[in-house]
Amino acid sequence: MVDIEELKKQFLNAEFDSKNFVLDAENLLVVAKTSGETRAQFIDAEHADFQATPAFLCSLASGRHLPIDFPALGGIPMDGGKAVECFAPIRAGQPITGKSHLHDIYDKQGRSGRMIFIVVRMEIVDTEDTLLAISDSRLVIREKPAA
Amino acid sequence: MSIENILDVEFGTELPVFEPDTTLANVGAFARAVGWGGPRFESHEGARKEGFPGALVPGIMGMGFLVSAIHRWAPTGTVEHIDGVFRAPMIADTPAIISAVVTDIDEDEGLVELDMTVKNTKDETRVFGTARLRLPKAEA
Repeated sequence: MVDIEELKKQFLNAEFDSKNFVLDAENLLVVAKTSGETRAQFIDAEHADFQATPAFLCSLASGRHLPIDFPALGGIPMDGGKAVECFAPIRAGQPITGKSHLHDIYDKQGRSGRMIFIVVRMEIVDTEDTLLAISDSRLVIREKPAA
Repeated sequence: MSIENILDVEFGTELPVFEPDTTLANVGAFARAVGWGGPRFESHEGARKEGFPGALVPGIMGMGFLVSAIHRWAPTGTVEHIDGVFRAPMIADTPAIISAVVTDIDEDEGLVELDMTVKNTKDETRVFGTARLRLPKAEA
């Protein structure tokens, strides 16, 4: 059984990936409109405040889900949820960088065994390194019982 | 009722129910736009081959539905934080019912907290979450 405290000591808060993005206006529009958005700053590319929806920011993914040396826990990681905190609008065509680290690791014991939750946090910054948004992805792994 | 500023909000208010477009065509367009195009989100048959009951609605599209529901209710608000737990798959071409309730109000800061759910027609929760909305303070 994996020691969660040991994993936390080894992996939390260390950046393991960095990826550059430039958001495409057409994709921002499609995501907003298909989500049922009605606000002009999300569905009108000509609007002075045109910007990405929070849901779009959740779709930004780093090159890898976990640090390269993170141990295999046996099960297939499932997408347990997302969260996004917005500090400033993110515009189409604006160069941004997503810097990823593990923010939290915890477990829950269920009837069918232990589930391990890993929160991967991406800090989205502009070219001045100003924090624009934080996107959290919760990976859920059902631990394989020891043979 | 559409909300314009923080004083319009009452604790316990339920937002108008929003039923978004979950058709396969709409879901597929969303998936392609976020770079997730493929059978899992664009084809019922393809998704079944992967072991799913049908083409899935991406969890983040569910979060998009939640944000849209907030904006329809409060057109002047800004969603500062949203957290969604993907409890069970949403399936394309089946209805999704978005509901939300006001759980906290901070009039000094202009902040509203909401509890939100995406359910199917069997009243089964697919996605649940919370959101924090910033609204204009009332003009003096």
